Amino acid sequence: MSDANDPMAEIRASFFIECEELMEAMQDGLTTLDEGDDDPETINVVFRAVHSIKGGAGAFGLEALVRFAHRYETALDDVRSNKFTPDADAMRLFFSCADHLSDLIRVCRDDDAIPDDRSAELLAQLDTLLGGAAEEEEEVSADDFEPMGVSISLDLDGLGDLPPLDFDVDDAAPMDETPCYHIRFKPEQEMFETGNEPQMLLRNLAALGEATIECDLRDLPPLEALAAETSYLSWDITLIADVDEAEIREIFEFVDGLCELSVRRAGSDTDAPAVTAPIETSSDGFADLPEPPATVPDDPDVPVAAAPAPVAAALAPSAPSAAPAPEEKTARKPAPAKAAGAAANGPKSVVRVDLERIERLVNLVGELVINQAMLSQSLEQAGLSPHSDAMNGLEEFQRLTRDIQDSVMMIRAQPVKSLFQRMSRIVRESSAGVGKNVRLVTVGEGTEVDKTVIERLADPLTHMIRNAVDHGLESTEDRRAAGKSAEGIVTLSAAHRSGRVIIEVSDDGAGINRKRVLEIATNKGLVPADASLTDSDIDNLLFAPGFSTASEVSDLSGRGVGMDVVKTAIQSLGGRITITSEAGKGTKFSISLPLTLAVLDGMVVNVADETLVVPLNVVVETLSLGAADVEMLRPGKYIVRVRGEFVPLFDLGVELGYREARDSYVGAIVLLIAYEDGARAALIIDGIQDQRQVVIKGLDDSFFRAPGIAAATILGDGQIALILDPADIIAEASGASRTEALSA
Amino acid sequence: MNEPLVLQSKLDLPAADPLATALKERLGTDVTVDAGAVASIGALGLQVLISAAASLKATGHRMTIINASDRLIEQMSQMGFTPESIAEGTS
Repeated sequence: MSDANDPMAEIRASFFIECEELMEAMQDGLTTLDEGDDDPETINVVFRAVHSIKGGAGAFGLEALVRFAHRYETALDDVRSNKFTPDADAMRLFFSCADHLSDLIRVCRDDDAIPDDRSAELLAQLDTLLGGAAEEEEEVSADDFEPMGVSISLDLDGLGDLPPLDFDVDDAAPMDETPCYHIRFKPEQEMFETGNEPQMLLRNLAALGEATIECDLRDLPPLEALAAETSYLSWDITLIADVDEAEIREIFEFVDGLCELSVRRAGSDTDAPAVTAPIETSSDGFADLPEPPATVPDDPDVPVAAAPAPVAAALAPSAPSAAPAPEEKTARKPAPAKAAGAAANGPKSVVRVDLERIERLVNLVGELVINQAMLSQSLEQAGLSPHSDAMNGLEEFQRLTRDIQDSVMMIRAQPVKSLFQRMSRIVRESSAGVGKNVRLVTVGEGTEVDKTVIERLADPLTHMIRNAVDHGLESTEDRRAAGKSAEGIVTLSAAHRSGRVIIEVSDDGAGINRKRVLEIATNKGLVPADASLTDSDIDNLLFAPGFSTASEVSDLSGRGVGMDVVKTAIQSLGGRITITSEAGKGTKFSISLPLTLAVLDGMVVNVADETLVVPLNVVVETLSLGAADVEMLRPGKYIVRVRGEFVPLFDLGVELGYREARDSYVGAIVLLIAYEDGARAALIIDGIQDQRQVVIKGLDDSFFRAPGIAAATILGDGQIALILDPADIIAEASGASRTEALSA
Repeated sequence: MNEPLVLQSKLDLPAADPLATALKERLGTDVTVDAGAVASIGALGLQVLISAAASLKATGHRMTIINASDRLIEQMSQMGFTPESIAEGTS
């Protein structure tokens, strides 16, 4: 991550991680707004995200980021205060600004060149959008920003100058920021006697917003001296919530007179010490910065004094998830604050863990699985009875190993949401690039996939989304002519299906122009001119290397690297990609991926003295062939009859080149394999050994990708076995009888 | 090792005194508190546990809270505690 010796670098790194989370929340908010949501909380979320980014950026002297975020925030504030109601164009601009903000964060993080031109362009658009008020604003803030360098105090000054625009300081202050309250609460004995319970009150309080609850035990005597019915406890609560004081007092309405209660709003001018309190407790490392917000009390006039609360509010939402500064009070005891936050608005409590540690854990668990297999094998060889204690214990051990494995895999799993959000940006940009009106619909954002898979899916998905926008959807005129709505729809969905993850990219465009695809493929020599191909064969030509259908090369997708690159990327993840298309209705690409790249349930089989592993999820059934089951289509090409259905038969030993074809198939053992699309095939093997979980050891790093081989594993006896990709083997085998191009 | 002290389902005002008495009897030994049956804990029940834990700690013994349900842990956290911090006798 960062240089361990430099605390600033660490804090800075965690700031950028927080930024990613904030950007995610912001994208969510914008999307919800775009869908017509008018809940004030939605725009608040977006506003707060931008504000927090600005605050953090100020602390690290990221001036370009601060300047842009500030102006963007001003625009959002206008929306928040109902001065401006965004239309579709405005929303587009807001999205573009969000995209740019995320770019700025990235360049600031990587110390790249800052795209000032783009900032200026977007800011100019924001000004035009918001009209005169914004220009006035601009003068004020620009004056402030240029001469002063960057620090949080500058940020505050900028805010402090905002209220005069509203002409009403009292109104502006609560509108500006989420207020922060300090509540001290000490129940009296009578309170318990009347059946009231502090825990309920604290719970209700926490439900208002983000609460940090601390219990004061000063008065609590040792047990010997304790009178059980006397109340000794009192509580200090820091509450960040968009409510007024009356709402807080309302919670204590029924215990009025039965407890001591004080409610103070942080940052109120009567309460100078409280101004710094929230910053100390909630800002994580930020309070340690060289230029802390301690400048605030130097200017105790009203507008500035009102500002510290906003800073605390802006930084506080990040506190539960990030605990990089263990010396901080709240970081040391995150549980109460987190749980209270969860009660308030349901965010999950999270721990940030270095990926390396997880990788190590995954590897260790992998070793554990192998070790367990070895142990089980040696116990078996020792001739122990299956009913012996040792064998029973071993069974339990196996179950536990599996549970650990599953749990470890779940640590690595992440929802695909972040990936999908990146795609919505791709859609916005690519549709603007080709002048089409496109909406991205996402389904199943919560589907969890291995982190590595998510990272490695970004490029292929980007390519597919661009393809869908550029080639899949028709132009607006063509859509109208075809009686469709002018707005094209690209759907991105994710789901778990039978132990795999299915990700689909579909458009509601014209479908694949098969005639044209075939023509191009023939012209390019990808298929012989006289080849007779089925529709699905033609569709699959899109994946052939060097294929590109766009007659004009657009700067979006037609760069000569086509879907074959996508296919290779998906295959390297152990996945498969299929394509379906219906003329006039659209095209759908389905990616099927293994849930994890680390383990799988496999069937251990023998083929010509070799031990191989077949992924269990593709095996539908195993059968032993009888004389009447097999029919010959032509020499070397057999089919087998399974439950009234004919299924192509392949001899695994022959396909892999281990041995010659058998003389007779009678008595041979066959695995019935099913693909995602429901098609089936039968594989002849020589024997089945076992069914067990195997740890996947990738071959790609050390070897080339062998067709039909997905990876390798180490078996219990220390022997190495190859893990097969049956669909690939069959594609290879059937490809040999068709054209070379199709087998690619 | 002593038998765990099994807590009642509702640790409110009426339960506080019996709980304190039960715990006082165990001072001077390590105490395991089985919270498996607890459905709700109030401030009075809480303070008895904390006070007992602190007293145990002062004499070199310790309290262990076991079987706390998620719901119970949530209630504790709403009052600013975790089962661990209670067993430590600190906030």
